[in-house]
Amino acid sequence: MDFLNPVINGFAVVLEPSNLLYCLIGVVIGMLIGVLPGLGPAATIAILLPLTYNVEPVTAIIMLAGIFYGAQYGGTITSVLLRLPGEASSVVTVFDGYQMAKQGKAGTALGLASIGSFIGGTAAIIGLTFLAPIVASFALDFGPAEYSALALLGILLVATISNGAKTKALIAAAVGLLLATVGRDIFTGESRFTFGNLELADGIDFVPIAMGVFGLGEILYNLEERHRAAKAPSKVTNVWPSRTDLKQASGAIARGSVLGFFLGILPGGGATIASMASYAMEKKRAKQPERFGKGAPEGVAGPETANNAAATSSFIPLLTLGIPANATMALMFGALLIQGVTPGPQLVEQDPELFWGVVNSMYIGNILLLIMSLPLVGIFVKILRVRAAILAPVTALITLLGAYTINNSMFDVTLVVVFGIVGYLMKKFGFEPGPLVLAFVLGSLLESSLRRSLLVFGGDPTGFLTRPISATLLLVFVLVAVLPGIRTVLAKRKTVPVGQPVTTKIKEKV
Amino acid sequence: MMHFPSRRTVLGAASAVTLLALTACGNVAGGSSDSSKYPNGPVNLTVGQAAGGSTDLIARAISEGASKSLGAPMPVVNKPGANGALATKEVAGKPADGQNLLLVTASLVTITPLAVTADEAVNIDDLDIIAGLSQDDYVLVASKASGFNSIKDLTGAGRNITFGTTGVGTGSQLAQTVLFKQAGVKGTDVPFDSGKPALTAVLGNQVEVSTIQLGEAMPQIQAGKVAPLLVFSEERNSFLPDVPTAKESGYDVPVAQYRAVAAPKGTPKDVKDKLLAAIQETFKSDSYKEFNKKNMLTPKEISGEEVVTQWKEYAAKYKSLVEKYDISLSGTK
Repeated sequence: MDFLNPVINGFAVVLEPSNLLYCLIGVVIGMLIGVLPGLGPAATIAILLPLTYNVEPVTAIIMLAGIFYGAQYGGTITSVLLRLPGEASSVVTVFDGYQMAKQGKAGTALGLASIGSFIGGTAAIIGLTFLAPIVASFALDFGPAEYSALALLGILLVATISNGAKTKALIAAAVGLLLATVGRDIFTGESRFTFGNLELADGIDFVPIAMGVFGLGEILYNLEERHRAAKAPSKVTNVWPSRTDLKQASGAIARGSVLGFFLGILPGGGATIASMASYAMEKKRAKQPERFGKGAPEGVAGPETANNAAATSSFIPLLTLGIPANATMALMFGALLIQGVTPGPQLVEQDPELFWGVVNSMYIGNILLLIMSLPLVGIFVKILRVRAAILAPVTALITLLGAYTINNSMFDVTLVVVFGIVGYLMKKFGFEPGPLVLAFVLGSLLESSLRRSLLVFGGDPTGFLTRPISATLLLVFVLVAVLPGIRTVLAKRKTVPVGQPVTTKIKEKV
Repeated sequence: MMHFPSRRTVLGAASAVTLLALTACGNVAGGSSDSSKYPNGPVNLTVGQAAGGSTDLIARAISEGASKSLGAPMPVVNKPGANGALATKEVAGKPADGQNLLLVTASLVTITPLAVTADEAVNIDDLDIIAGLSQDDYVLVASKASGFNSIKDLTGAGRNITFGTTGVGTGSQLAQTVLFKQAGVKGTDVPFDSGKPALTAVLGNQVEVSTIQLGEAMPQIQAGKVAPLLVFSEERNSFLPDVPTAKESGYDVPVAQYRAVAAPKGTPKDVKDKLLAAIQETFKSDSYKEFNKKNMLTPKEISGEEVVTQWKEYAAKYKSLVEKYDISLSGTK
C-alpha cells in the first residue's frame, strides 16, 4: 500500500480550506470564461498568472487547473443554448446540442454533457493516478539524451497535429524556436541576439510572451470580432436525461473517455482535437449517421466527454515528463516555474504533496462542476451581456499590471505589448499562436539537452541510439514524420478507399 | 436589469486595481537627502535571483530581522537576470540614500567576469558594501555508478570523467575545471541551469560527478545516494566534518559562495551605520541563526571593508588560476 499513501495524503492537501476555496474559484472562473466566446483558458491563465505568485504552488496550480477543465464545462452551455461555442473544444457540440435545444431538449443536452464531462474527467484522473507513477519510476533514466528526443518529438507533433494550416503552424513553430535562442548561451556565456541589452541576457521570459500572445493578442482580436449580441436563450427544463437518452449516450461516453484520454496525452493534442475526433467517431459508428446534426444525443455526449478527459490527461506529460502537450499546459509549466517548481520525472517523488494535491483536486473540481453547472446556467447567460467595451480594457489593464508584478520590470510590460501585437497579427492572418509558444518552451529544452548529450557522448551522435528510451522516442519521431507520406502512397494504391483512418478525416476537418 | 450591477462591479474592480497600482508605485517615490530621518519609508532589498532560491531566502531572512530594528518595512524585490548583473546595475544607479539595497553574491564579482564580456561584468567599486553575511560551500559529489568514494578514486580512474556544473561562470564550474587541471585528470564540462538539475544528473548517472551547493546536496548525501568527495572551502565544513577540503587533498582551489548587503556608492556614513546595526541585530536573533543552520550556511559576518578586500583577493586569485592553467570558462577548450 506504499503507493496509495501519497495519493491519500494528496486528498488531505486538497481538503485544506484555502485549497478548496481556490479550487472553487478556479472552476467558477473557468466556467465563466468558458461561457464567454473568445477568451479561452490559455488567455485567462496567462492573464491570471501573476495572481498565483503569492500563494503556495499547490494552491496556484489547483486554481489554474480548475480554470482549464472548468472552461470545458462552460463552453458547452453557450454551444447548446445560443449556438455560440464558448470554447474551441465545444465547437462540435453546436451541431447536435443546438438542435436538441430547438427541439426543447436543452436540459437533456446540458445534462448529458455534464454527466459525460464528469465521467470523462474522472476516468482520466484515474488513468493519471495509475500511469503517472509508472512514468515517474523511469525518472532517473531520463537524461539529456531522452529529453532531446522527447523535445524533438514534441515539436514535430505540435506542428503537425495542431489546428489550422500545417505550413503556418510550422512557420509559427520556427519563430518560436528562434525566439528561444535569444539570450546568453548557457554553454559558452556568449550573448546571442541581445543587442547589448542586459535585460535580454537571460533570454526572453516565457510569461511575457504567453501573456502577450495569448492574453493581450486575444483581447485585441476579440475587439474586432465580437459584434454579435446574445440571443434569448432557450428554456432549460428536465436536466436529468431520460433512460433512452442515457442508453443512447452511454456508449459514446465510454468511447469518448478512452479516446479523450489518449488524445490528451499526445503532444499537440488536447481538448479540441479530442472533441472533434469523438464526434467523427460517433458519427462513423452510428447505425443511422443521418441523425447527426439533427439532435443526436451521442453527438453531444461523446465530444463533451472526450474534451474533459483530454483536458485532464494532458496533465500527464507535463507533470511526469515536464513536457507541455498544448498551449495551456505550457502556461501551467510557466506557472510552476514561477513557483520554483520544475515539473519533470522527479516531481512525483520529490514533491508528492504538490503532485497528488493537484491530481486529487481534479476529483473535487469535477464534482463541484457537476453540482454547479446546471443551476448557474441562467447567470452565465447573463454574463454574455457584459459589453466588450467594458471587458476588454479591464482585462488589458489586469494583464499589463500582472506583467509588471512578476519581475518588477517595465521591460516585461513592453514585451507583453510587443507580443500582444504579434499575437493579434498572427490571429488576424490565420496563424495559431500555440505552436509558437510551445516551440519556444521546447526549443530551449531541445537545445540545451542536445548539446548536453553530445558533451556526454563525447560528440558522437550515435550515442542517442545506444540508450533504450531515447532510441525508442527517435523511432517514434521518424514514424510520425514519414507516416503521412506512406499513407498517401497507400491511399493512391487502393482503388476503393474504404477504410480511411479516422485521424486523417479529422485533420481535414479542422 | 441585471447588467447594471454587473457593470458596477466591473468598474469597482477596475478602480481597485488602479489603487493597487498607485500604492505599488509609491515605493519609488521618497528619497530625502536628510539622512537623520533615515529610514524614510520602505527600504527595498533587491535580489538578482528568482524567488525561492538560496539567495532569495537569505534576503528574506535578513529583511525580516532588519526591518524590525529599522522600524521600516523592507520588501524583497526579485529582479533576476544575467546572474544578478541586472539588479546590481539597477541598484547602483539609484540615489545613494539607503532606501535601495542589494543582496550581492560574490561569484558575480569574482567569477562571472571570467566568462562574460567586460561590459556585462559588474564592478564591486560601484557599490558600498554594508556587511558580509554568510558562506555557502560547494561540495563535489559522485554518483553511485561511478564507484568513486574518495577524491583518490577519481584522480586514479585514468579515464575521461564527465562533470556537471551549475552553469557557465559559476563557482561550481571554476572549482571543478581548476581541480581537474591540478589533478591532471581529463574531464568534460557539462553545464546545467542550476544546482537541482546538476544533482539529478548525478543521481541518474548522466554525469559521474557534479559540484553543487551543500544545502542542495545534503538530503541526497544523507540518503546515501551520492558520495561527497570533497568540499572547496578553506576549512572543513561543520555540517560535513568527515569530508576533506580540496586544500587538504593537495589542491589550491578555494571556492565558496559568499553573500553581502550593499548600497549604491556614496551612501552617507550615518545611514550605513544604522543599516549595519540593524543587520547585526538580525545576526544575533535565534531565528536567523536557526535559518543559517537549516540551510547549511556558515556565518561569515564581516565588515563591508573586509568583504571588498576578500572578494578582490578571490577575483585576482581566480584570474591567475584560470590564466595559469589556460582554462576558458566558456567551454570552448
